[in-house]
Amino acid sequence: MYYLGVDVGSVSTDIVLIDENFKIIDKVYLKTKGRPIKAIQDGFRELKKYKKEEILAAGTTGSGRQIAGYVIGADVVKNEITAHAVAALYIDKDVKTIIEIGGQDSKIITLKDGVVTDFAMNTVCAAGTGSFLDRQAERLEIPIDKFGEYALRSDSPVRIAGRCAVFAESDMIHKQQLGYCEEDIISGLCEALVRNYLNNLAKGKEIKQKVFFQGGVAANAGMKKAFENALGFEVYVPEYYSYMGAVGSAILAKEYYEKGNKTKFLGFNIADLSFNTKTIDCSGCSNRCEVVEMLRENKPIGFFGDRCGKWSEKVKAS
Amino acid sequence: MKVTFPHFGNTFFAAKAAFDGLGIDYAVPPLCNKEALEIGSYYSPEEMCLPFKIMIGNYIQGIKEGADTVLTTGSCGPCRFGEYCELQMDILKKLGYDVDFIVFDAPKAIGKEEFLRRVSLISNASSKSNNEQIEAALNGLKVINLIDDIEKIAHIKCGYEINKGESKKILNSCKREIYSINNPEEVVKRLHEYKRKIKSVPIDLNKKPITVGIVGEIYTIAEPFSNLYIEDKLMDYGVCIKRKLSPSWWVKNTIMSAINMQSLDIRLASRKYLPLYIGGHGRECVGETVLSKREGCDGVIQIFPLGCMPEIVSKSILPTVSKDLNMPVMTLIVDEMTGETGYMTRIEAFLDLLERRKSNNVLSWS
Repeated sequence: MYYLGVDVGSVSTDIVLIDENFKIIDKVYLKTKGRPIKAIQDGFRELKKYKKEEILAAGTTGSGRQIAGYVIGADVVKNEITAHAVAALYIDKDVKTIIEIGGQDSKIITLKDGVVTDFAMNTVCAAGTGSFLDRQAERLEIPIDKFGEYALRSDSPVRIAGRCAVFAESDMIHKQQLGYCEEDIISGLCEALVRNYLNNLAKGKEIKQKVFFQGGVAANAGMKKAFENALGFEVYVPEYYSYMGAVGSAILAKEYYEKGNKTKFLGFNIADLSFNTKTIDCSGCSNRCEVVEMLRENKPIGFFGDRCGKWSEKVKAS
Repeated sequence: MKVTFPHFGNTFFAAKAAFDGLGIDYAVPPLCNKEALEIGSYYSPEEMCLPFKIMIGNYIQGIKEGADTVLTTGSCGPCRFGEYCELQMDILKKLGYDVDFIVFDAPKAIGKEEFLRRVSLISNASSKSNNEQIEAALNGLKVINLIDDIEKIAHIKCGYEINKGESKKILNSCKREIYSINNPEEVVKRLHEYKRKIKSVPIDLNKKPITVGIVGEIYTIAEPFSNLYIEDKLMDYGVCIKRKLSPSWWVKNTIMSAINMQSLDIRLASRKYLPLYIGGHGRECVGETVLSKREGCDGVIQIFPLGCMPEIVSKSILPTVSKDLNMPVMTLIVDEMTGETGYMTRIEAFLDLLERRKSNNVLSWS
């Protein structure tokens, strides 16, 4: 018997199955490509070998958690901060700080005695997140999975302005034109991003050991090393660093099941159903909500974005 | 004369009742929405704070409905709000709108004579007798006190109610109904009925809901559109909300400040951390955070518009307060660029944090 966790992020969609002992049985990693529903369906197609009855509960997380929740019939729809904390705590109860950098946002979570005590999420700038690194790798024509290696080969990183993605990029171009080698520029970039992270996001937060570094960007060994250099101690990258959100949401689903609840999971066959969304400009009052209607096989299964609940109640009633 | 005014939480109910009583024609701008913000952002200086932009949108929408006079408040205060009206007059004039501004401010700041002169601009436009005018003003005051009261009760009841969503429903239908009534006496009567109604919502005292204090810049916490309807969302989650600053609080505070007797509890509570008025409601923000803990809040959310100077000061003090009181504090900064997804994620995660702390739910498997 398994628990399902789905993490629909801006860049990637991760799906995991865990068993009663929290062991990861199966996992799927896909690019979201701006089509969360399609990504989930593609992922489910790969998981069709499991029966619906084998799933005791399902959870969703990530920025697309709401839509994913409707599509798969999730029991627990939780934000990614909680999901990441839950997953990290399961792996190591002594973790005190989580550095999580994903495709579009970065977070810091501090924990004490197994409870989240504080967190912050980037508000103004996407510099340092996965998409930005992706773009720079593409521009330098270096495969993103080699990015870290390049950084590690450098002895004297170049100082790059890391405050803002646009300025960081122009500063990198400038440094390239001055003739610095790629390794030093990439390593400098990692340092700039870490500096930016510590000075902005982690400002005023105490970073206590043990520190976990998770999210897609943790794959980049250069970033890990830059964090270690700046902090002066070791930073741990858990084995399933890029699946942590999904693992967390599967654990939350397990909690839900163990409280004696029944699952609403719709099964892996939803991969073959048609899903559509429609935008409605509600003119019911001067709030003028933009309501999104979700359709499965042309039947409405969910509405979001209405303030008064006029639309979303329709589904609950039927 | 046809008057319009900016939105600020529930004030339009009071303004409407007062103008109905005075027999003065008025145009209530549409409730703050994206369109008002778009108009406002287009015509306002980019680095201006969010309330300014929404207000400009309100004015222009009010003017389009035929208003020729804008009624607003000033504060001659050491925060940008004190200069709002001057800049707004300038912007509207440059856009070619021929409107008069009547700016209400405390007599202390503008002088008693000037204050009375400004009041007379309104009272001269009314054909009612002096007594009727006073009654109209009092009715306005009653309305704002009542609606803020009802809202306050609903914000607590939503955590304990047996039928989920009942308090919110009553609050919403109350607002809808009284907006459609043009007789101030009738409005006051209906509000009293609604107050009884909301008080009689059945509750389950065995529930242990999370209680969150809302502090920060007064406009962004009292005007729901500007904070992306955070209170509606918290009510949906069954979270009790305690918010001190509201239009009725503002009225009381302004009156009491004439004799320097305003908000004594807040002043005492903030003394250890911020013993001075630093403009805006920075001192109140710190004081309320301290009070929130005493009143049993599990956590506090501070909200302010990007670039708000007094709140930036209190934001840097709040971590110390939070540590001393052992109570989590989260800050949310809003402006026209605020994305709803990230905003909601933070609120949800903060509620999770409070819930897990409260039940000391060291996850079930550990």
